[in-house]
Amino acid sequence: MKGKEKKKEIYQCLNCGWTSIIREEETPPDHCPNCLCSIHNEDEEGNECGGILEPVGIWVRSEKEWEIVQRCRFCGEMSTTPATEHDNRIKLLSIASKPISSPPFPIERIEEMTRLMGGNTDKGEI
Amino acid sequence: MNRENKKRKYDKKYYRTHPCTDSFTCKVCGWPVVSAGAGTNHRNHCPNCLYSIHLDNKPGDRESECHGRMEPIGVWVRKKGEWAIIHRCVRCGKISSNRVAADDNPMKLTALAMRPFGKKDGLYPGCFFPEGEL
Ligand SMILES: [Zn+2]
Ligand SMILES: [Zn+2]
Ligand SMILES: [Zn+2]
Ligand SMILES: [Zn+2]
Repeated sequence: MKGKEKKKEIYQCLNCGWTSIIREEETPPDHCPNCLCSIHNEDEEGNECGGILEPVGIWVRSEKEWEIVQRCRFCGEMSTTPATEHDNRIKLLSIASKPISSPPFPIERIEEMTRLMGGNTDKGEI
Repeated sequence: MNRENKKRKYDKKYYRTHPCTDSFTCKVCGWPVVSAGAGTNHRNHCPNCLYSIHLDNKPGDRESECHGRMEPIGVWVRKKGEWAIIHRCVRCGKISSNRVAADDNPMKLTALAMRPFGKKDGLYPGCFFPEGEL
């Protein structure tokens, strides 16, 4: 600490109670590294919301960047926040794998269904 | 212009209370989109390429002037277990969510859901997952 005490701040998650110390050179996290929630401060029109933004999905922005897609429990608005290496990996993975663990149609019949609807079976870029 | 069309043109809240039954050609992929087959009253994305157009501020209000293309960037599971497509406007960055329709291309939907698990050059997307951890 080089003689004098450095100013420390505490980050506390209002959803799960997770606390971490924010050192002087750090900025407070955009979302809780444990439950990946944030507080919805303001909606698009600038009205205060105060609802909890909870993680609902993953956006693979590029090979090296994941963004967490959050949805406000109170007003339903959606936003994204970049995932970081401090984030709870189990939680990230469970969000990413949710859709494939509850598919709306039998996964093994996808190609057949696509042919039936006369669609494009090319999985590549749109 | 018949009366119903007039109402549609001048009543901004029209689509909140009326089903959207228009047929149109997708501006992104050219797919002829018909209203039948969606299994929903509000067809708000193309069943072939899954793109949407940024027309709404709040669902159904048609009040946005952006009109940018909304790219499908992922899917999420809603409360009752149904899938919804996550759209992001390429022009303004707005994120919104659209229910999956009965005739949406299942291959494209699945590819979206699998995106976090695609491996490239021995690296997993979100490279803080070392190989072998997924
Ligand atoms: Zn938390
Ligand atoms: Zn909110
Ligand atoms: Zn299309
Ligand atoms: Zn837009």
